[in-house]
Amino acid sequence: MAENTEPRIGVFLCHCGTNIAGSLSIQDVVDYAKTLPYVTIADQYQYMCSTPGQKKIDDAIKEHNLTGVVVAACSPRLHEPTFRTATKEGGLNPFRFEMANIREQNSWVHMHGMWEEATEKAKDQVRMAVAKAAKLEDLIPKSVPVERAAMVVGAGVGGMQAALDLASAGIKTYLIEATPTIGGRMSQLDKTFPTLDCSQCILTPKMVDVGRHPNIEMMTYTEVEKVEGYIGNFDITLRKKARGVLTPDEATAKGIVGGGCNGCGDCAEVCPVIKPNPFEMGMAPRKAIYIYHAQVMPLIYTVDFDSCVKCNLCVDACGDKKAIDLEMQDEFITVKVGTAILATGFDLIPIEGKREWGYKQFDNVISSLEFERLICASGPTGGHLIRPSDGKTPMAVGYVLCAGSRDNTGGVAKAYCSRFCCMYSLKHAHQMYEKIPGCKVYLFYMDIRSFGKAYEEFYYRIQNEGTKFIRGRVANVLEDPVTKNLHVYTEDTLLGRPVDIEVEMLVLAAAIQPKEGADVLRKKFGVSASQDGWMLEAHPKLNPCGTTTAGVFLAGVCQGPKDIPDTVAQAEGAASAASIPIHMGEVELEPYFAMCIEDLCAGCGMCVNLCPYAALALGEKNGRTVMVVTEAKCKGCGTCGGFCPGGAIKMQHFTTPQIAAQIDAFFAGGEQ
Amino acid sequence: MAAKTYNIPELDTKLADRRYHLTDANPEFTQKILKTSRTIANMCYQCGTCTGSCPSAPRSSYRIRLFMRRCVLGLEDEALTDPDLWLCTTCYSCTDRCPRDIAPTDVIMAMRNLAFLRDIVPKNFLQTCQLIYNSGHGVPNNDVNRAARTKLGLPADPPTTHSYPEFIKGIQKIIDHYGLKENADRILKGD
Ligand code: SF4
Ligand code: SF4
Repeated sequence: MAENTEPRIGVFLCHCGTNIAGSLSIQDVVDYAKTLPYVTIADQYQYMCSTPGQKKIDDAIKEHNLTGVVVAACSPRLHEPTFRTATKEGGLNPFRFEMANIREQNSWVHMHGMWEEATEKAKDQVRMAVAKAAKLEDLIPKSVPVERAAMVVGAGVGGMQAALDLASAGIKTYLIEATPTIGGRMSQLDKTFPTLDCSQCILTPKMVDVGRHPNIEMMTYTEVEKVEGYIGNFDITLRKKARGVLTPDEATAKGIVGGGCNGCGDCAEVCPVIKPNPFEMGMAPRKAIYIYHAQVMPLIYTVDFDSCVKCNLCVDACGDKKAIDLEMQDEFITVKVGTAILATGFDLIPIEGKREWGYKQFDNVISSLEFERLICASGPTGGHLIRPSDGKTPMAVGYVLCAGSRDNTGGVAKAYCSRFCCMYSLKHAHQMYEKIPGCKVYLFYMDIRSFGKAYEEFYYRIQNEGTKFIRGRVANVLEDPVTKNLHVYTEDTLLGRPVDIEVEMLVLAAAIQPKEGADVLRKKFGVSASQDGWMLEAHPKLNPCGTTTAGVFLAGVCQGPKDIPDTVAQAEGAASAASIPIHMGEVELEPYFAMCIEDLCAGCGMCVNLCPYAALALGEKNGRTVMVVTEAKCKGCGTCGGFCPGGAIKMQHFTTPQIAAQIDAFFAGGEQ
Repeated sequence: MAAKTYNIPELDTKLADRRYHLTDANPEFTQKILKTSRTIANMCYQCGTCTGSCPSAPRSSYRIRLFMRRCVLGLEDEALTDPDLWLCTTCYSCTDRCPRDIAPTDVIMAMRNLAFLRDIVPKNFLQTCQLIYNSGHGVPNNDVNRAARTKLGLPADPPTTHSYPEFIKGIQKIIDHYGLKENADRILKGD
């Protein structure tokens, strides 16, 4: 387009079905737009984002020789890329496009009985967008190369799957896990619903695959310390926590030939310190030098330096392998990756905070994860279900569903549905009948949410086995001080009668919450949280794996409650999304970065410290000290541009003349 | 739809259509309750925690959850004419535990107020009004209590309106302001 001619702007209004057209007069706004300076054509369509809608833009650019395009529709977060492409198709630079958000910022908030006002507001919005569009400039996006490596943080089933997919697609993948072993929550489960597969039997082979995949660098007992950089070029500093034990490779590197931990366990045998094993929910002991369980990956012992008394007995027991180093310190290493996936999972809420259910007050009230360990063949009781107070087999067991989920009272409670408690409680009920003939099972519920494939059929099966479903949320629980049995109080709402059911053990299907430390981690990656505390996806429907940080993706429960099939599916989605930039080899960055107008820059350097992304520095140019921008690091936030006392920083696409034109257009009410 | 009649009153009552019809609902009733109770009564999801917590429920036919349901659906007559409405002890156990953070107790209080406006109040409540009006006490002192107090070394009458009857006038003034005694007398007389 010829630069020196007058701007020629095309304006397009979208009905968005009735989303916009139902709350304001599209026709009035179109007619008004035609009266605005520079506007050459104003048009409307039911769905501007559809093929015919986009074609209108394409055609109009060609037919009217436009220099700028305005679409008044939804949020730019949704369709700015769509309309930029349409603008480009028409032969204009894609950054000659400006969007007026008359949906989220207008029709949706003025839905009822504000027709006139909403129409007037839409006119204001269009007028401002036209004013800016008239001043838009051609911009050329910058490409940066992408490092051919990825990182997955969290090695539960989601993280493992994501790592395996990335690695199998030929990408070097760092799999980071904070605990000493991979496997995550799934390795704590006995069976999985609705197929009743043994959890270990389907998970451990995957753990082995992860361990021996040539493209996976598994780093357990390691945490993310610092994240720098941007998509394609993240520099991530990891803290390798002092494990106190050398792997065979580490030993070899230190010149101890044939040494290093072989997992024999001689050390733990002699260790005098006994602590509860968190993997067994504290129901089994471990030593100060320990593994969680026999199937850990890697099979390397770990010293818990918080409880180690440095008696050196283990060092002697280990002997020539020389695997134990009680003076080991944390190590820091930095790796470079192109993309990253967060898969940090969940914890149970501290359900003792709901005092009325008696957890941690009454011996025989346990959490669902404790039940998993108690019924698991490899658990602390070898799969013999016993109750904590006296080691007897409970013949009547109750399950409390929605224990802290769907609860708006605050405190430890969560307003959301934790999504898998219904199904695992059905599974628990089944396991009772399987293991303890003649037992009685009561399941207290509000709604049974069996939405997945073969889930409702599973519900049918469990009911047929004899479980009594009592539709009532448990009001409170009291303990018989002599028998240690529990009285469960609620209303059978279907019968309309209060109930008092005596059980020998009660299992709370506690709500879940983001993993401890997940908040700190997500902030390092610049990922937001949604209102419920889980990590925020880029779009709940169309981009559930992405985040608002380019190059950072989410997998599994860290994004919101999910069962295993959904976690694995999302992990595969995230791996696919994370591999795209790597396979493309380079990514385009939005050309919104700050530019130094060197003639005006006094080299004061005050902007350098203001930049939240460390994108600015001082440098020499033509014998003068001026500010220099690392364009790939700049996110275009505008902090420096707004601050610069000399007006020497130009924020591309948000230049002072462009913004001033919008403000003028707003205050001038359209009169020039 | 015209109801079928057998011309035998007993049979007509027995075989009457008991289905819930949309015409049974009075949405204004729900709104009135929301306004008076200042709690989000419309958000009840019928979990039963309230009835499960209620000390009145195991010993009576009173189901607080049922009243919550009637509130949600606007079943005004059914709620206000049910004598169970008066069995709440106002212990607030349900309010303590409701997972939707509703105050069912306040819903009951709102319903009682609306019932009073229609002269639907049990006798004993009205008699309590009269007692307070006349003595300043809902449960006035009696000879048995006086003897017990004396035995414990307490004055036979507590330091309330029983000892200072001159203050009864003030209480009456307040009650008169709301027409409570007047209404109680009127309703009781009409019985
Ligand atoms: S406890 Fe609350 S939500 Fe549950 S039935 Fe009672 S009022 Fe409704
Ligand atoms: S306040 Fe009333 S309804 Fe609620 S638990 Fe107490 S007696 Fe029952």
